[in-house]
Amino acid sequence: MPILDRFRLDGRVALITGAGRGLGRAMALAFAEAGADIAGAARTESQLAETAALVEARGRRTVSLPTDVADSAAVQLMVDRTLEEFGRIDILINNAGGGTAGAGKTLPEILDAEWREGIDVNLSSQVYCSRAVIPALLEQGSGAIINIASGFGLRGGRDNYMYATAKAGVVNLTRSLSVTYGPSGIRTNCIAPGVFPHTAEAEAGWRGGRFIPVGRVGRAWEIGPLAVFLGSDAAAGISGETIVHDGAGTAMIGPTGWAPRVPLAD
Amino acid sequence: MPDEFTPQPDPVQPERPFSLAGRKALVVGVARPLGRAIAVALAQAGADVAVAGLTREPSEIVQVNSVANEVWSLSREQIALELDAADPSSVQAAVQRVDEAWGRIDVLVNAPDLFYAWPLTEMADAEWQSVIDANLTSVALSCREVGRVMLREGFGRVINVASVLGARGVSNTGVYAAAHGGAVSLTRALSQEWARSGVTVNAVQVGFYEGQAGPAEDGESLEQLVKVLPSRELTKPEDVAALCVMVAADGGFISGDVIAVDGGDTARV
Repeated sequence: MPILDRFRLDGRVALITGAGRGLGRAMALAFAEAGADIAGAARTESQLAETAALVEARGRRTVSLPTDVADSAAVQLMVDRTLEEFGRIDILINNAGGGTAGAGKTLPEILDAEWREGIDVNLSSQVYCSRAVIPALLEQGSGAIINIASGFGLRGGRDNYMYATAKAGVVNLTRSLSVTYGPSGIRTNCIAPGVFPHTAEAEAGWRGGRFIPVGRVGRAWEIGPLAVFLGSDAAAGISGETIVHDGAGTAMIGPTGWAPRVPLAD
Repeated sequence: MPDEFTPQPDPVQPERPFSLAGRKALVVGVARPLGRAIAVALAQAGADVAVAGLTREPSEIVQVNSVANEVWSLSREQIALELDAADPSSVQAAVQRVDEAWGRIDVLVNAPDLFYAWPLTEMADAEWQSVIDANLTSVALSCREVGRVMLREGFGRVINVASVLGARGVSNTGVYAAAHGGAVSLTRALSQEWARSGVTVNAVQVGFYEGQAGPAEDGESLEQLVKVLPSRELTKPEDVAALCVMVAADGGFISGDVIAVDGGDTARV
C-alpha cells in the first residue's frame, strides 16, 4: 500500500475527550480530515458544538457528548452513546485534563479535595474511558488508544505535584495497556505535548518560548498529524510508546540545554 | 545563550499533512532492509531521494542501484551513492555531490545496521572498531556533513535509526548496544545544538525486525523470540519507514525525541 494511504482513517470512528478546544479540537479536525467520524466529549456544550460544526464542515459525521470524564458512570454513557451512533469505536483519544486543581500551591497547602479532583480529571478519567472502550475494541479485534500526557509526566516541576504525578501515571498506564491488550490487536500509545498555549496571556507567561529549545511555543494544529499517525495503520508497529512533542524540551538538561565550548585537553 | 530573544516563526500548516512533495532527502544505509524501506517510503510521500550504501560487495552495489531504481520508478529524482560511511572523505564527497545536484538536503535518515552479538571478553579489537565504525561513526560523520548544509539553509529533519538494544540490556549485545545508544545520545545533543536553526534531530529505536541479520536469520531462535514479543511478530521495515515519514513531515516541534518501533517490546518489564 502506498505510504500516504496508510495514514488515512476512512471509515474509522474516533472518540475524543476534551474535544471542545485546544489540542482536543485540533485532533478532532485532523482526524476528520483524515476521513474519520468523530464522537466528541467535553464538559462545555457550547465549545463541543463549535467543534462539531467544524467537523461537519469537513464532511464527516459527528456526535457531541457532554461528559464529565471524572465520573465513571457518565463515561460509560458516553461510550454507549458512541456505539449506538456509529456501531463501533476504532480510536479512543484520552485528551481531557487540566492542571488547575491546587496548581501553584506548595505541598503543605494542597487540600485533599484538590488532590483527588486533579488525579480524577487527569488520570482516573483515562482509566475509566479505557475500561469502558476496551470491550468494544476486543470484540472488533482491533483498536488504538492514544493517551495524552505531558512533558511534566516525564520530568518534575517546582511545586508541580498533582499534574506531574497524574501524567506520569498516564505514561505508565499506556505501557500496561499495551502489554496486556497488544496480543489482542489493540495498540496503546501516548503523546507528551510540551507548551501549547490556549491564549495570548498563557503564551506571554511562557515568554513566547524563550526557554523552549526550538525557540517558540507549539501550535495546536501541529499535534494533529502525530495523533492521526498513531491512530492509523501507519503506526501498526508502535505500541506502549510515549512520543514527545515539545520542541526538544525534555531532551535537554534545563533550563537552556546550552553548554560552552571546551576544547580537547592536551 | 544570548539574552536577546525573538520567537522563531510558526510553521505554515500544510494542506496535505504527511506529504514530502518537493523535499530533498538523503538516506544512508539502503543496502539493508530498513534503509531501503525508508528510502522508498520517502519517495512515495513525494520526496526526491539520494540513496547511499556501503558498496564493498557486488551484491551491495546491486542493492543500492535497485533502491535508486525504485525511487525513479515512483517518478521521483534519485541519486545513487557509493560510500564508506565511516570514512570522512567518502562521506564528505557523497554529501557534496547531493548538495551540488539539489542545492539543499531537507531530510537525512541514517539507517546503519551491522549486527554483532558476542561475549565482550572474547571480542577482537577489530570487531569493536568495525561495529562502532558502522553503527556510530557513520552517523556522526553524516550528521556533521549534512548538518553543515542544513544549518546553511536553515531547515532540516535528521532521523537516526538505531536499535532498542541501545535502550535495554541483552547479553552479548554490548558493543552493538553501545554504538546504538551512542547514536541516541548524539541525537539528543544535536537537537539542542541545532534547535534555533530550523533543524530537528530525532532517533528511532527499532525492535527485532524482519530481515535483520543475526537473531531473525536463525529459524529456531526466531521462533522463540516471536513467541515472547507482545505483538507476536517482528517489526516490519515498512512500519519504521512510516514513522520516518511522519517525523520528516512534522512542523518542527518534534525534536530530541527517541521513538521505539518495537510492537511494545520495551514498554514492559
